[in-house]
Amino acid sequence: MSWSIGKSIYRKEALEKVTGKAKYTDDYSTSGMLHIKLVVSSYAHAKIKAIDTEKARAVPGVRAILIGQPFPLTGEEISDRPPIAFDKVRYHGEPVAAVIADSPIQAKKASELIGVVYEPLPVVNSPKEALLPDAMLVHENLTSYERIEHVYPEPNTNIADRTKIRKGNMEQGWAESEATVEASFSFAPSDHIAMETRCVIAEIRPDGFVVFSSSTQSPYMIKKLMSDYFNLEEGKIIVKTPLVGGGFGGKVSVQLELIAYMATLAVGGRPVKLVNTREEDMITSPVHIGLDANIRLGATKDGKIKAAEILYMFDSGAYSDKGATVSRAAAVTCTGPYHIENVWCDSLCIYTNHPYATAYRGFSHSELLFVFERAMDMLAQKIDMDPIDFRKKNSIMPGDTTPTQTRLNQSTVGNLPNCIDQLKQLMNWKDGQVTQISERKIRVKGVSCIWKTSTIDSEASSGVTVTFNADGSVNVMSGIVEIGTGTKTVLAQLLAEKLKMDINNIHVKMEVDTQTTPEHWKTVASRGTLMAGRALLKAADDATEQLKDIASRVLMCSPDDLEVGNEMVYVRDEPDTFINVKDVCYGYKYPSGYSIGGQVIGRGSYTLRHLTHIDHETGQGKPGPEYTVGAQGVEVEFDTRDYTYRILKAYSVIDVGKVLNNKAAKGQVMGAMSMGLNFGSSETFVFSEDGKVLNPRLRTYVPYRYGDHPEYVVHFLETPYIDGPYGARGVGEIGLIGMPAALANSLSMAAGVDLNKLPITPEVIWKVKGGGG
Amino acid sequence: MISYDFEYYKPTSIEEASQLFQSLDEQGKEPIYFSGGTEVITLGRVNQIITGAVIDIKGILECLVLKKNENKVIIGAAQSLTKIREVQLFPFLSKAIVEIADHTARNKITLGGNICANIIYRETVLPLLLTNSQVVIASHNGLKQLPINEVFNQKLKLEKGEFLVQTITEQSEVDLPFLCVKKRRQWDVGYPLLTVAALTSNEYIKVAFSGLCSFPFRNQLIEESLNNKQLSKETRIEEAIQRIPAPILDDVQGSAEYRQFVLKNTLLDVLDAWEGEGNA
Repeated sequence: MSWSIGKSIYRKEALEKVTGKAKYTDDYSTSGMLHIKLVVSSYAHAKIKAIDTEKARAVPGVRAILIGQPFPLTGEEISDRPPIAFDKVRYHGEPVAAVIADSPIQAKKASELIGVVYEPLPVVNSPKEALLPDAMLVHENLTSYERIEHVYPEPNTNIADRTKIRKGNMEQGWAESEATVEASFSFAPSDHIAMETRCVIAEIRPDGFVVFSSSTQSPYMIKKLMSDYFNLEEGKIIVKTPLVGGGFGGKVSVQLELIAYMATLAVGGRPVKLVNTREEDMITSPVHIGLDANIRLGATKDGKIKAAEILYMFDSGAYSDKGATVSRAAAVTCTGPYHIENVWCDSLCIYTNHPYATAYRGFSHSELLFVFERAMDMLAQKIDMDPIDFRKKNSIMPGDTTPTQTRLNQSTVGNLPNCIDQLKQLMNWKDGQVTQISERKIRVKGVSCIWKTSTIDSEASSGVTVTFNADGSVNVMSGIVEIGTGTKTVLAQLLAEKLKMDINNIHVKMEVDTQTTPEHWKTVASRGTLMAGRALLKAADDATEQLKDIASRVLMCSPDDLEVGNEMVYVRDEPDTFINVKDVCYGYKYPSGYSIGGQVIGRGSYTLRHLTHIDHETGQGKPGPEYTVGAQGVEVEFDTRDYTYRILKAYSVIDVGKVLNNKAAKGQVMGAMSMGLNFGSSETFVFSEDGKVLNPRLRTYVPYRYGDHPEYVVHFLETPYIDGPYGARGVGEIGLIGMPAALANSLSMAAGVDLNKLPITPEVIWKVKGGGG
Repeated sequence: MISYDFEYYKPTSIEEASQLFQSLDEQGKEPIYFSGGTEVITLGRVNQIITGAVIDIKGILECLVLKKNENKVIIGAAQSLTKIREVQLFPFLSKAIVEIADHTARNKITLGGNICANIIYRETVLPLLLTNSQVVIASHNGLKQLPINEVFNQKLKLEKGEFLVQTITEQSEVDLPFLCVKKRRQWDVGYPLLTVAALTSNEYIKVAFSGLCSFPFRNQLIEESLNNKQLSKETRIEEAIQRIPAPILDDVQGSAEYRQFVLKNTLLDVLDAWEGEGNA
């Protein structure tokens, strides 16, 4: 019987949230706090000729005004970005000045009085444009920037990084291909639309400590980067993160913290707060990456894929920040979950004059799968093979190698064919892909297979401590940020299982304080449960050992004979001989007054094993640990006259290794599916010819509303990942990543044309069908 | 957050409101009438509406009327869209209302606010135009009652200091068969790609549009084209489209060409609904 694993335990923070009492960064204020308001660029690309701050300085309450400086330059891989634009602006919405005032209203008033004179420059409005021979350079001095070792900017171009995959022999692959398809794909940048807009509070204490509160997924990265950029002592930087109202990758980047630090420095260390408006959160802070892509795919007539040649051109926007990392991750899994012997892929991170990119749930996978899985359907059609059978025939299996030439086994890759079979059954695939409903309407199904690994830093680690209360209940401290994923509740479940105890007696600290909470690298990449989970199990072992040590002396036996469970330490084969955990977790006191042992503190840490950088020429290496695989489908009702459609049902069959919290896992997957569907069908920034975002607000950028959702069908398979806690694989992102492709496949089938641009609105279909001439 | 300061007044009579407007205007405060406040808040925070004083008309009884009286339906300008829809005195108007914004916003948006909005759609005006409703306007020399078709041209033509008090619609008009079809770029909430409202009376079809041009309108030439039963439906629609009185919108909701495509289909649906499918 399981104590907790697999059960649908309520989130530990649920009551706080449903009663509206949960506190987020902006809910905290202190007396004497000052407020920051940004002035942002109204141009996508322009020289800054002059900034007039005189009128703004005259506004009562204004304490300081910051404008751009040449240094520091910031960025996770290439230091290409001044925190406030200096000399020129490179995207619409870029910060050009920051006003610090006593009240938010004074700061806003003053910000409106700052006059910026721009001299517009030609705009790079897409990755394809950026690669033209005479393209304007977004960064003229690309080679002068400091950078990490494993990023490869190309001088005098707009290419910030190129990752190459060279596997097998392309010539042979094409020779063996009896049918090929070639296609191009594209979508513009969009946004995450987390409910909580980004917010940061910063102060410099009289003792020199720099203290942040931030709505971030990376409190420990803030500490590290602030130290690097501003030459601060890392031990004197403290970052606190309360509950975060949704991250989706958008709160990975360190951006507002830099401005907040410079602001508090300018006002003698007083606390300052910077909170994004929705518009700023959409374009000033980093966004979801865009993509142009070309693909050529070849197979034999009987449906064996022989060659894949792919060019991914990621629209990283004005700065490379996470864009380089995202484009690299796309190369690593560039083929989708298929075994292909011959693969050529170049994945480029490209500068444009768009808002700059950061991580987005799925980290390049929904993007690359849209390209690859559309091409799969096109090729299946060309060889006249059922698209599901075609996928199953090419499924990646234990023993196969990935594009980076890592050999997989059952533990690391799970069971894709079983996912495909189950999806086929759930979708009643045998009834056909297209059903006529009425004269005008048809119901059409489309599918996509999915896979994802997480290409995170090879030295990334997670730590957990476990302490006890005198009543025997347990406290868990982990650097995971509770961004809405429920991971901290899953940690409590893992501990309940491990210590065989009631989860209600396990308390999890939700807030992170980098000074006292053991580090968790970043709350990203579906790594929370794996890394913090493993660290937690180790901490539990450590605590158990200490409990047994003390108890063994009370019970007069070897610690080896003892077990911990039911909040007792007992003799394994004579459970009636026991002592309660509460009587030993702070040491044991004999009747005489002698005491032994001390308080029990369990500690554990985990670092991913055997990860490598990938080879720059071939892509060879092991950049990620396990893969989560699955198969997804969409059923639409399509109006053949006006090209409108409804999404009736969306399906996910995912091999998650082990379901740790059933409803939480389903909720994660459904939430991810909804994001993927709306990215595929509606969400996009619309750019003017001069690179301005025409819809940076929720009036015109429309996320899903409550009633818009289809019916979600989610099924799990459990092929254990041996390294994962209780066999679990990452599940935070995977539900999103096949949705745009499955939707595009169903609609392409419905409309009878290849729909290779996102989002697929009725107008897009109308255009591809030849509407508008 | 609105960065300018403004005064707030809540008069309890039409006279008081008019006088307040005049005196505030003389003080250079550029006053505006205020009802639900949704536009003042959302456009005020980005400085697209700037004012030194707002005059809230929700304290004026005449603006809060909501009743059926001697075969007339009377609706106060300060009634919220939610409330108007709930009482169901005017099903055509209710149908237009339920497609505007979302429920939370409709709890605040008022009929007067929507008709007199800066926002280009102003969809509540469509049923009023088609039912030949009357509008009651407060002006400095008292109330005046006028046919909406006379005073609404792109916008409700109010003189400085005037405000909309009520709309009055004949029950016989309210009872006529209607259609109100809103098409969006995608999904079911938000601004229109275009809205077509239609009403049929004595086998004559009347239509009004929002989202098609940069203002809502009803156009008699378009109606003549659509009702010319000598011609096929397709030809009538083609002719009607030639008579659209201003450039078709081309924006983030959709291109002008696509709007035309959607308009054709929607008009065909309207004609099919009342003339039967396939009738030439």
